[in-house]
Amino acid sequence: MKTWFRNLAIVIIAGLALASALPVNAAYPELQLEIRDHLFYPSVLKVPANTKIKLIVVNRDATPEEFESYELNREKVIMGGQKAVIFIGPLAPGEYPFFGEFNPKTAQGKVIAE
Amino acid sequence: MAALLPSLPALADGKLVDKVYDPYVEYQETEIEWRAVRTRDTDEEELNGLWQHHFSVGYGFSEHWFGEIYAIGEKRPGEGFDIEAAELEAKWQLSEQGEYSADWGMLFELERKYEENQWEAAATVLVAKEWGRWTGTGNFALIYEWGREEDEFETEFRGQIRYRYTEKFEPAVELYAAEDLLGIGPVALGAWRLGEGRQFRWEAGLIFGITDESPDQSLRLLWEYEFF
Repeated sequence: MKTWFRNLAIVIIAGLALASALPVNAAYPELQLEIRDHLFYPSVLKVPANTKIKLIVVNRDATPEEFESYELNREKVIMGGQKAVIFIGPLAPGEYPFFGEFNPKTAQGKVIAE
Repeated sequence: MAALLPSLPALADGKLVDKVYDPYVEYQETEIEWRAVRTRDTDEEELNGLWQHHFSVGYGFSEHWFGEIYAIGEKRPGEGFDIEAAELEAKWQLSEQGEYSADWGMLFELERKYEENQWEAAATVLVAKEWGRWTGTGNFALIYEWGREEDEFETEFRGQIRYRYTEKFEPAVELYAAEDLLGIGPVALGAWRLGEGRQFRWEAGLIFGITDESPDQSLRLLWEYEFF
């Protein structure tokens, strides 16, 4: 393969990828989730289907926790006493479980998109 | 090209598949990784049975930065295994996952090949996008090589389309385009949770060369232990 052609192709593909994914400063519905005593409050979050949600996770515990969900395709560490923003969706109607990776037996919840 | 110069150890640069990087960083996570590529090529003896191994330790220093240090070794057909290079790597997560229509990151690499007194620096744009259970990931690298060989810029693309079937098994297709490589093939990935922030990840794939200069087949393997 000609080097110049390969280089040109890669630059064009990179440019197209960048152009198609420029940030859009949209305002998303916000929901708050708290971690206290290694539990999620609320443990059930109802969200509108097919809508991107800005989830603000506040860790009231002194120890870190990781918000983890394969179904939501998200994992995020929240340090003790800190908060983190997690964007989820747009989700098809259904239930999406999540849990705390460091306390999986107690820290459990689910997102219900409807 | 090093592979054509008998006086130089032929670290098969620009011919080997690597892995496709996602743009995400896990704060305070430690990773211990082994990954390897084995090539088969009936036209090029040096590539017919070559193994290249990466051993690394990495750590998430912040919510946005992950650093990793590598030892890179090769076993060429008929020769013993040698550690031939060291590499420093820093990944920078630029956007929150899901915040924009695609997720962005950058990867910076600096590699030193000892015997060849050869250096390589790379800056790579990492982008990932979700379509439901499908995830597409692209790595666009600009590489500069200097040292004993002729200084040169190179570009490289690594791409992956993955179906998030289950956590333990995700099928994917990967495409690699580098200096002397154009290849595509099936890959499988998975993770086993070991509890309380520990997990084991694996990847395995077989990339088929499309052009004459590409290795006919490249088997790629990865094992990674992650913990906090």
